[in-house]
Amino acid sequence: MASGNAQSDDLFAPSKEQSRRRIIRAVDVKKVYRMGRQETHALRGATLSIHAGEYVSIMGPSGSGKTTLFNMIGGLRKPTSGKVYIDQVDIAQLDHNELAWLRCRKIGYIFQTYNLLGVMTALENVTLPMSFAGLDSERAREKGVDLLKLVGLGHRILHKPDELSGGQQQRLAMARALANSPEIVLADEPTANLDSKTGGEMIELLAWLRSELRVTIIAATHDLKTLQQSDRIFWIEDGRIVRVARPEEIDFKTGRLMTNGDLQPTQDA
Amino acid sequence: MIREQVKLPLSVALGVVLQGIRIRFGRSVVTLMGVVLGVAFLMSSLAGQVFTKGVEREDNLRLEVRRRYSFLTAEMGPPRDRVLGVVQVGPLDEVEERLLRLLAREGIGRIQWAETGTAGGLPSDLAPKRRDAALETVGAGASAVLVLGRGDPPPADWAALLAGARQKVVCLSRKDQHVVAAQGVAVSALERELKEDEVRRLKDEQRRTRFRNLWIVVLSLLVTVICIANSMLMSVTERFKEIGTMKCLGALSSFIRRIFLIESGMMGLAGSILGFVVGVGFTLAVYVATYGFSLTLASVDVGRILLYSLLSVVAGVGLSIVAAIYPASVASRMVPATALRSNI
Repeated sequence: MASGNAQSDDLFAPSKEQSRRRIIRAVDVKKVYRMGRQETHALRGATLSIHAGEYVSIMGPSGSGKTTLFNMIGGLRKPTSGKVYIDQVDIAQLDHNELAWLRCRKIGYIFQTYNLLGVMTALENVTLPMSFAGLDSERAREKGVDLLKLVGLGHRILHKPDELSGGQQQRLAMARALANSPEIVLADEPTANLDSKTGGEMIELLAWLRSELRVTIIAATHDLKTLQQSDRIFWIEDGRIVRVARPEEIDFKTGRLMTNGDLQPTQDA
Repeated sequence: MIREQVKLPLSVALGVVLQGIRIRFGRSVVTLMGVVLGVAFLMSSLAGQVFTKGVEREDNLRLEVRRRYSFLTAEMGPPRDRVLGVVQVGPLDEVEERLLRLLAREGIGRIQWAETGTAGGLPSDLAPKRRDAALETVGAGASAVLVLGRGDPPPADWAALLAGARQKVVCLSRKDQHVVAAQGVAVSALERELKEDEVRRLKDEQRRTRFRNLWIVVLSLLVTVICIANSMLMSVTERFKEIGTMKCLGALSSFIRRIFLIESGMMGLAGSILGFVVGVGFTLAVYVATYGFSLTLASVDVGRILLYSLLSVVAGVGLSIVAAIYPASVASRMVPATALRSNI
């Protein structure tokens, strides 16, 4: 579905030497939520760095701080303490307009529930972020059609999201995430609402994006198939990164680590 | 380069708004009805004032003409085939013109017309009855001599002027006219003098009505504002996920704010126009039912109604936008992360 597209090189062209660049760095990130008098420590000091072009999965039980970390490195929330650098920029220093700029140009988001705008056609959904970026509508249209073809929705350009299947909707969401040629794609449980076959196709598409377009992919997931494609897997428990693993170290039948010994807290990933 | 601003095309905002209204048509109609009711109320109150003023004026005019006519006929007898002398000392006012027309309708035989000083024209439909005369001959065969126009008639010996008249009667159409009294000549004024306390009572009543109307209008507009604000807040809550998603895609807070302000403003415009039509239509119907078609239509000040309608549409749009300020700022301050996991 995603092979043999010559135009993709024009759309995304990160140079080879960029590939080992550290695109995201988090240093001792803590996040405290206050609900009245109650304080919840969602993150108790997480340190990690992610290279450009890497495919990283974040795993952890619910309430582990996975979502919080995910939001933090996606520029959706600011940390209570510690630093998050996205492409060398400390996001704590950005005002809300600059954060919007960052979200618009640097990061593409894929949501668990797709979050497509139901009132718009597939093409309009894809071109919306482009108009936020100030692209004129003619060029946005062309680029939108190219992206829809790229994810295999070339025949569904003028359909509304509710006329598409779940897998097609998620592929549309992926095309939208790629609208402004981001360097980072954040996927929040991208396969959770899909059956295993379409979920597998999603993961293949993500992996293809990573290898062909050199896009950095960060996915929060429970899905073991997602892990198979990742370069590294971060385990989060109780607000800390407790383990960084490679997919080879995982037994995909049980979902456990092969070297299931002690889970050493890794302070510097 | 990160300081570069994300551009916000207005057409995109407009598109999002229109689609939002279309998809939530039911709720939009409810919001719209709030505006319609508020503006209809404002407009019916304003139009009511215009109508009342016009109808009151017209009504008073007709009453006054009737009254002067019955005074005159009491002096001179029924006008049919009689001769009336007129001394015109200045331009006629509306009451005087109508009085002449009424006399003509009632079949007066002839009007002997003497102009003194600067006189205005006479309505052309009265011309067949008119016979020009000098001041000296104005009274010949007349049942009465009527003094019309502003100012005093020239000093004259009224006893001599009315020597050839059937009745020696001089009627003054206005209370500020004077004639020198003469032997055997009856002089009466047709215009009624309003007593001072009567005038004051009328003015008080008018002021009270104006204040009461103003208060009711202000209240109804406040209700409208609150209704719109409430409905827009609902709209914001309904769209939390959509807003969060757009923020994740790079929408600026100002873009989000603009969407809600435009939406409210557009509904304000549509609601105001509809409300103006409803308000004026209702008021017109009520006044036609009360005073009859001809009196109402004769008295409407169309220019003033149009002015008020323009004002009420401007007020409707303005208030709708004001009402949306708070909901829009709630939406624009929303954290984009809400889009990720919210189930609202």
